[in-house]
Amino acid sequence: MARGEIELSKLRKEFADVTAVDGIDLHVPGGEFFSLLGPSGCGKTTTLRMIAGFEQPTSGQILLDGSDVAYTPPHHRNVNTVFQNYALFPHLNVFDNIAFGLRRAKRPKKEIRERVGQALELVQLSGYERRKSSQLSGGQQQRVALARALVLNPAVLLLDEPLGALDAKLRKVLQIELKALQQEIGITFLYVTHDQEEALTMSDRLAVMNGGHVEQVGAPQDVYEDPETLFVADFLGVSNLMDAHVVSSGPSACKVAVDGYELETRGTDLDLRGAARIVIRPERVGLEEHGAPSGPNRIPGMVERLVYVGSAVQVIVRAATGESLQALVQNTGQGIPWEQGTPVQVHLPSDAVRVLPAEKRAGESE
Amino acid sequence: MTTVAERQPGTRFSAAARVRGWLRNTWGKPRFLVLITWAYILWSIVPVLIAVQFSFNATRSRTVWDSFSTRWYWGDSVDSVWHDPTLRHALVQTFKLAGADVLIAVPIGVMLALGLARWRGRGSGASNFIMLFPLVTPEIVMGVSLLLVFTELFTFIHTGTTAQILGHVTFSISFVVVIVRGRLFSIGRQYEEAAADLGASPFVALTRVLLPLLTPAIVASAAVVFAISADDFVISQWLSKGGETDTVPIRIYSATRAAPLPSVNAIATIMLVSTLLIVSAGFLAWRMLTSGERRTGRSAEDFGSAFNLS
Amino acid sequence: MYRRWLWPSFSFPGVLWLIVLFVVPFYAVLGVALGTVDPILFQPVPVWNPLEWNVGWIQEVLNRLAPGGIWFDVGIRTIVYVTVSLALCLLIGYPVAYYTARHAGRWKGVILILIILPLWISYMMRMLAWVNLLQADGYVNRFLMFTHVLSQPRDWLGGNSSTVILALVYGYIPYLILPLFASLDRIDRSHLEAARDLGASPFSAFRNVTLPLSKTGILGGAVLITLPMFGDYYTPNIVSTSPTTSMVGNQIDLYFHGGPQPTIGAALTIVLAAFLTLLMAYYMWSIHRAQRDVGAVGAL
Repeated sequence: MARGEIELSKLRKEFADVTAVDGIDLHVPGGEFFSLLGPSGCGKTTTLRMIAGFEQPTSGQILLDGSDVAYTPPHHRNVNTVFQNYALFPHLNVFDNIAFGLRRAKRPKKEIRERVGQALELVQLSGYERRKSSQLSGGQQQRVALARALVLNPAVLLLDEPLGALDAKLRKVLQIELKALQQEIGITFLYVTHDQEEALTMSDRLAVMNGGHVEQVGAPQDVYEDPETLFVADFLGVSNLMDAHVVSSGPSACKVAVDGYELETRGTDLDLRGAARIVIRPERVGLEEHGAPSGPNRIPGMVERLVYVGSAVQVIVRAATGESLQALVQNTGQGIPWEQGTPVQVHLPSDAVRVLPAEKRAGESE
Repeated sequence: MTTVAERQPGTRFSAAARVRGWLRNTWGKPRFLVLITWAYILWSIVPVLIAVQFSFNATRSRTVWDSFSTRWYWGDSVDSVWHDPTLRHALVQTFKLAGADVLIAVPIGVMLALGLARWRGRGSGASNFIMLFPLVTPEIVMGVSLLLVFTELFTFIHTGTTAQILGHVTFSISFVVVIVRGRLFSIGRQYEEAAADLGASPFVALTRVLLPLLTPAIVASAAVVFAISADDFVISQWLSKGGETDTVPIRIYSATRAAPLPSVNAIATIMLVSTLLIVSAGFLAWRMLTSGERRTGRSAEDFGSAFNLS
Repeated sequence: MYRRWLWPSFSFPGVLWLIVLFVVPFYAVLGVALGTVDPILFQPVPVWNPLEWNVGWIQEVLNRLAPGGIWFDVGIRTIVYVTVSLALCLLIGYPVAYYTARHAGRWKGVILILIILPLWISYMMRMLAWVNLLQADGYVNRFLMFTHVLSQPRDWLGGNSSTVILALVYGYIPYLILPLFASLDRIDRSHLEAARDLGASPFSAFRNVTLPLSKTGILGGAVLITLPMFGDYYTPNIVSTSPTTSMVGNQIDLYFHGGPQPTIGAALTIVLAAFLTLLMAYYMWSIHRAQRDVGAVGAL
């Protein structure tokens, strides 16, 4: 079995008044950068803590490289954690912090010195051995926390929103560094975050969680462009959602009716009929001049508002069906041909529109 | 109200205008509050300073100052603290009780604080309640109950030093718990979890990580327990069997109702200085040991509010 | 993470100690107060079985406290002393706490230390200091005669209610100021700025924002000083030589140390404890209401 493979089987955690994790199944092959993404309260942190060993599951299995560690105490598991607030021991300096785990494992002094030195090099903090954590900046503390966990060569590294306390610019820098680090070392990183942009940029694969269960698992591109549920579509990026009525559905194409207009959409494996919702990303919404030759998947509309966001312009269009749609037009330096209050033709390319079930599952938050 | 903006460059405020501005400054410090506060502080501390001063009086008077002398401390061969056996024994007894109190109450209290802060199961609520009760019980009620329990129930412990120590520890435990618990809350569970994550067994996590981080609170609570024990009057009096089991507060009490000499002032001053030294040491130790974690300007309040109950 | 028995076992020594030396002694008081008195030796005979308890002594105590009884004056006087002392403590202590919390600026640390200082000074010493000052030839009389307020020295320590009240205020006020300060300190400045921004005068902002938000501090401080004050006996004894200023605590003291009837003393203690429990319950209810009114904002 590959090193660092995680398998969660029907994992469940109930607290006194709430079920935090509602029976999830997950498989993470070794060596992957895998993210758990979701809003606060969705159960991602609880799942992480169960894998680390700080919470005991109510039921279910946690298989680490084949063996069930669900009831093993944390100090016997071959996983290490980077905490949200770093949890560097205030009474120890950087060297002793990193050496802590090695000393618990009773490694010889020489080996400890070597490995700590290597770990500091890895996170680019050589020479900081004698500092106390109160003398380090947030970013430096985070790297020490990383070094402290990695020096023990765990099979899996768990990261609990480690970049949450840092400012935006630093976060971007560290995102790249973390990703590079994971690729260099090659162990499994299990990363918890509520920032969908972060999850999309860093992960090999990710799981979107909501209300204690997993909505969708897949590579960033797949989850973003092929959301399988309304929640995923809504949570990742901006989406345009419209009510629709399914005329016909099939694996290669579907037909829906939106307020009298018929649209062709992508196929779906779900057997959808009756009321449904369709979703299309703003960057795929095409805008054509009023009066341009009509064609399939075109709806007339009126430009409501233009919002300038630097690299692009959001064009808010009120479609003839009554809904507001957002189109994202890249700023090519040649001006935007649309003006507020002018009529326009909206083109929803059939391979960009997805049909989703209308109702969210019971218990999900809107 | 004249504002700065309206002032012509070069003009000076008249004295009256300045006073008016001083009084009417809406965001400034209301002056009567300043006066009340400093008046209170003086009223609070000056009497004690005068009492300290008179402990160095050359004559037998506590009210009319003569000249500086140390006769009441060691000079007078009959009535000074050093030579008067009742005063000397009172000092010894006070330190004895306070020392024993610290040695017994602090470990029990630290363990109880840890236990109560982390215990989630049945009985934790009741235990917490029992711990808080001594803090709100009037001393006389406690004195009566302890006296009766040692004379009617546990009669193998009569009144005397043992009873006094047992009584002192009983009301001191709660103070230790409150102080240590405050520190525990601010530490949180993250360090123990990190330690376990890195391979430390629960015992190692407790001794190598949690206890070192609790040291400031333990030291502070020891200082507080000493101060409370040295100051205690009611419990010590009710459980005393007279003579050598009387403490300094008891001596001061009996002396003020008779015709005391400045030697009473002297013994009170000795206790005052000892207690202040120990409390300052505790405070400094707290500051030193938490220097890395300190947010600006709050350490005095942290120390004081560590055992704030509300 | 830890074994399930770990934390309860840590609590065990402390809880056991408190049960044996705090809870059980209460039961001893009940046993004596609700027991009988040996008619020959005049010794208390404690009764440990609740079914055999004798409420006669409790009734006797209640009779003495009722109007017409020999302790009626004492009871009224105690209530008056405590109430007046509390009022004075609040009157003096609130401005001090308020100034320290909100306006002290760079003096805050120093003032705080000076305010906390009396807590570490022995209560007896503080009383001794006043006894010295209030002597016939003490500084108080000399100052008052010097400023011609008095023409001859006044006897402050011979049984003067105002002296007792002054001593109570002096002794207990630091214990009121500290919780008051803590709760005032916690009030976010932005609440007051918002009030001013919306048109409130300084006094109105104080009355409508600061005062309500400091209510739990006031109540907490009041609890902290009135409960012990009701049991105080040493303060009247130190600053007054006359029994005309005695409080309830003095009676308890008398029956244990001055005479052969601990049973009555125990019974009075029970009555006092019951009264204080009621008072405590009232305080808790008031605090609960104050917190509920203020909601999350005043999580004091």
